[in-house]
Amino acid sequence: MDSDRRRDSRSWDWDSPQCRAQLDEIFFRQHDYIQAGSPEHKEFWAFFDRFQRFKTKKDMSGSGGARRKEDKEEGKDRGKTGKVDLGLPKEYDARYRINVSVCTRDIEERLGKSEHRSRQRSSGPGTQEISDCRLALLHFLDFSQRQSFGKLAKLRQEQKNLPIFQYRDRIVELVRSHPVVVVAGDTGCGKSTQVPQYLLSAGFNHIACTQPRRIACISLAKRVSFESLNQYGSKVGYQIRFETTRTPATKLLFLTEGLLLRQIQQDGTLSQYQVVIVDEVHERHLHCDFLLGVLRSLVAERPDLRLILMSATINIKLFSDYFSSAPVLQVPGRLFPIQVIYQPIPPEEQPSRSEKLDPRPYLRILQGIDQRYPPEERGDLLLFLSGVAEISTIQEACQIYATHTRRWIVLPLHSTLSSGPVFDIAPPGVRKCIISTNIAETSVTIDGVRFVVDSGKVKEMSFDPKAKMQRLQEFWISRASSEQRKGRAGRTGPGVCYRLYAESDYDAFAPYPVPEIHRVALDSLILQMKSMCLGDPLSFVFIDPPPAASIQTAVTYLKEQGALDNAGELTSIGRLLAQLPVDVVIGKMLVLGSLFNLVEPVLTVSAALSVQSPFLRSSQHNPDCATARQPLHSNQGDPFTLLSTFNAWVEVKGERGGGSRKWCRRRGLEEQRLYEMVNLRRQFKDLLRSHGLLESEHSAPSDGDRGQRRERLTERRKLHQLKRDHEQQEGSRRKVLRLAEGQDEELSSGSDTEEKGRGKKDKEGSEQNMDIQDVKFKLRHNVSKLQEAVSVSQDLSSRQQALLKLLLCRGLYPQLALPDEHNSTRKDSEQVFHTKNKQGVVIHPTSVFASDPEVLHVPEDDSREMGPDRQDSSRHQLLAFVTLLETNKPYLSNCVRVPALQALLLVANSVDSNADCTRLVVDGWLELELREPEEALKVLSTALTLRAEWERLLLAQLGQSTVGGPAGQGVSRRVMEKLSDGLVRFVLYTEVSYSLRRLTAFQTQNLYIGPQSESELSHSKAPDLNPLFPGAEVKPHPIKGGLRVTSFFTYNCLADSKDLYSECLRTFWSCPNCDLYMPLTPLERMQHEASCRPAGEQQQLEEGGKAGSSSVSSLTRVYHCDVCNEDLTLTPTEILKHKRQHMYSTK
Amino acid sequence: MEQSTSETPQKTFTCQLCGLVSPYSYYGQKPPNTRAIVLLEECFVTKDPFTPDKEKFLVLGSTCSLCSLCVCVGSDCSLFYTKRFCMKCVNKHLDQFPHQVQAELAKKKQSSRAAIS
Ligand SMILES: [Zn+2]
Ligand SMILES: [Zn+2]
Repeated sequence: MDSDRRRDSRSWDWDSPQCRAQLDEIFFRQHDYIQAGSPEHKEFWAFFDRFQRFKTKKDMSGSGGARRKEDKEEGKDRGKTGKVDLGLPKEYDARYRINVSVCTRDIEERLGKSEHRSRQRSSGPGTQEISDCRLALLHFLDFSQRQSFGKLAKLRQEQKNLPIFQYRDRIVELVRSHPVVVVAGDTGCGKSTQVPQYLLSAGFNHIACTQPRRIACISLAKRVSFESLNQYGSKVGYQIRFETTRTPATKLLFLTEGLLLRQIQQDGTLSQYQVVIVDEVHERHLHCDFLLGVLRSLVAERPDLRLILMSATINIKLFSDYFSSAPVLQVPGRLFPIQVIYQPIPPEEQPSRSEKLDPRPYLRILQGIDQRYPPEERGDLLLFLSGVAEISTIQEACQIYATHTRRWIVLPLHSTLSSGPVFDIAPPGVRKCIISTNIAETSVTIDGVRFVVDSGKVKEMSFDPKAKMQRLQEFWISRASSEQRKGRAGRTGPGVCYRLYAESDYDAFAPYPVPEIHRVALDSLILQMKSMCLGDPLSFVFIDPPPAASIQTAVTYLKEQGALDNAGELTSIGRLLAQLPVDVVIGKMLVLGSLFNLVEPVLTVSAALSVQSPFLRSSQHNPDCATARQPLHSNQGDPFTLLSTFNAWVEVKGERGGGSRKWCRRRGLEEQRLYEMVNLRRQFKDLLRSHGLLESEHSAPSDGDRGQRRERLTERRKLHQLKRDHEQQEGSRRKVLRLAEGQDEELSSGSDTEEKGRGKKDKEGSEQNMDIQDVKFKLRHNVSKLQEAVSVSQDLSSRQQALLKLLLCRGLYPQLALPDEHNSTRKDSEQVFHTKNKQGVVIHPTSVFASDPEVLHVPEDDSREMGPDRQDSSRHQLLAFVTLLETNKPYLSNCVRVPALQALLLVANSVDSNADCTRLVVDGWLELELREPEEALKVLSTALTLRAEWERLLLAQLGQSTVGGPAGQGVSRRVMEKLSDGLVRFVLYTEVSYSLRRLTAFQTQNLYIGPQSESELSHSKAPDLNPLFPGAEVKPHPIKGGLRVTSFFTYNCLADSKDLYSECLRTFWSCPNCDLYMPLTPLERMQHEASCRPAGEQQQLEEGGKAGSSSVSSLTRVYHCDVCNEDLTLTPTEILKHKRQHMYSTK
Repeated sequence: MEQSTSETPQKTFTCQLCGLVSPYSYYGQKPPNTRAIVLLEECFVTKDPFTPDKEKFLVLGSTCSLCSLCVCVGSDCSLFYTKRFCMKCVNKHLDQFPHQVQAELAKKKQSSRAAIS
């Protein structure tokens, strides 16, 4: 047939691109269903070739004869039966099987007319070619329809096969008739994807479904939207920290537990939802437990609200009972039989506490599988270990075995890895060996697992309130976890579970895991509870209440942080912190940063400290990485290193775009973390703006002219297209792993790509190289604007750096550590530090101070030995740190170094002094001894003045923000700059020699003189004891004794103190600002200094003081002079002057 | 047309033989955005969910030309041969179908029987 046609139109060649292009003109024009150049168009021509070949083959096999014979039969049969005539054509043609037709007569006619005259010369398609092409197109359309319908039918079949399908009506019915319903079923029963769909199709609207993990929100939204054939389109969406696909039309929203809590914070009755589904309640995350508590009272308030708890079949009664015996619908799992083999690790292979795991028990299992099961019998292995370090130990050993046998592909799985490769398929005869943390227990489901190896161990974070320290410890798992792990082997067929412990161990396991609320610090929870006005946290009805001591610790901590006042109520900063979805310390930094001109670097640092470190530990010992990283390091501290790393990365983003991936790899950086930082940074900025702490961006002028805007628009359109292409490709791609997989560093790029169906392997490479993260980044951020913002923090002057450090330190306080006094004589690796509550902690090896500890030592040329345990210097330093986490040792991470005396005086909650202020005790654990009383007084009084001003401005700023007015107006720029100048000067140029040490236990016991008797106090009742700070009363401290000068400073309360007014303390002193010259006690002098300002400053105060509480008029007070027997309204200075008059006159 | 369909999303197609349920967005012979393409029967059509970004259509089913049963296009439920026939009607009038169709159906029956036993 083909050859016939060639004879007819000699110049027609089906293989020629020109000929095909001419047919494209007819069938695949710009507005046609299939357009030339589109992927379907390519697919069509590939189909065409196959179709032609098939036809030729059929023609040659002589099916024509058969057709004739059958026609005869047909005719005969029809004659016999007297039934309805269907009117079917006599001659069979496959064409009749297709219910589609394509009309192109209009174009054909048009083409025909113009080409008719030149027909002889032209090589255009004849009617035969056109109809051949049309026929192929019809078959192609039919083929595509069949393919898609097949997928749909398969999908529906799968939904029907899910165990939960049978309970569809029952679930809807229960939800209609009960406010709270518990649906229990194990992973794989389909509850997470199906229950929301059942409710949607039953007519429920505005459904929220919470998930413990962000990634689950995205994948569930995608899956449900797909399963409902995008029928709901944008009506199924998700919302997570940085992303949302939510629109006003959204009917079903997947969101994180934390986010729903925030929404309750805004909208107490959650009126936007009709149904709330809380999924995975059995995981007992902190947020989830709290959410259940909040919802419990909400259900009573809103009888129309429907609440559905979904859980694995663990401890179901607990949930039902908590919601007054809510009905439980239990969906039986679909598990194949699993053989359990107990293989306890022999004593000689048990690892001791500090040692690495012995891989032998694990290797034996791999070997055993290889011996017992032929490689044709498919089935992968899933191995549960406690932590990342354990995974890499076992991975290493298994990899050697795998390389040797060529029957295994070893893949790690934990929360910081992209889980891509573990879902890919192994080539025939090869098994995947997935080594995972407990993440694969309930959250990540991998199909095709036949063998499970359970170490029986899990690492869990706990909080030690006594040491104020996080602890990552290894525990035996619970029986519930053990069963979950086992179940993973029986999802696709009968399986085997090897337990590396004895059956008696299993019996001794706890029945359920310890819920998070019993393990972790509750600061953020308590803060949130306070802001939601839930009353006393101790009386809140939790599903499983945390220990009272744990709540108490959190309340105390929040008080220390200044988020709660002494009565346990939110302070203005506390109210703001409760709105920020970050750690209290980070939130404090942000608020502090907004006051000064340091917003940009503070935003970056806060974001960086809120995500995991981008520095990969694996590349730490790679000398190339170390060299490349060097320029990013700052010996000021890890936050500064993170800051410069982020800035450099943004720079690279601007220059070379996708080149940043390589840049990161070379430096051993995990780029994902930087993307998280940039997103978080943006969120922080928006938060500060919405709370009026940051001016909104002046948009119009910086956006550039119209041309630039258009350019950006075109760019964005292109990026959107790239993103769409990528997403589509993701959907259709299925990877087959290579044997070498797992040995590569770059797991994600190591797979061969196999297209389902028609092959289009070429060009694949370039598309795969497209950096989708970069595309998303550019869609989300305006790079040039980001660069502008970043350049502000690029080359910080030493003054800015000092101020930034101070802000970080104030944010992180009381998380401070003191270097051990003998560190300078120790090896780098043996440097020891102490916190108030934990002695002997070390710096995490990833910190800059681990490789450069000398910068923390007191320089010798500056120090003076004052005895065996006293070293005076003006260069003592402390470390402010973000986390104290104990793994095998207690580690400090993310540290910044600060000058000790200055930092403590400016941020500490408790500073106590002796009579001449040469001995200071901070927070009851650090003792500073200054040599010169003169200097001591000066430093202390400067610090008090600065702090008062700082506090005043901060409150003004926060007060302003609650009103909602634009920021910056509460605090004038000039006043703010003056303060920052003062702070910087104090931090950088205070040259006072002092000693610094921890108090011994004995010293702390006998620290204070204690409350004094009335007679002793008679002096202090003298009315001339003016408050140093307007509004604050100087009163005797009820516990420590001495005088409470400010909320944080108590004068003369230390046990060795001399009497407050002993005359010998009076020394003659002349004030530099006024003409005062008289003998004064240290306290009197400080009081005078606080109120007597230089002439110029006094004026400023008068101008700027109107907004604040400290106007000049408030400095005056009523003073009763005993000599004149008169009430006088005077400022403190005037009082002193007045007294002086009497003093001289009496003499 | 599209306007009205998007406002009434609850139109569902149900195959009366296999029970397949799916929402549909168009019923007729000329689905939107198909240009030169025409359907040879009145069909229940939805947007192809397997090509989410493209405006491709997917025929779910139609009514049997003999008994008016609503059937999906799956080969277990119906057959198109110039017209739509539900499987019940096909079996009833099997003799009127060409040999090729008969052979094909016989073969399918055999293989499904083999799968069961
Ligand atoms: Zn059907
Ligand atoms: Zn019928």
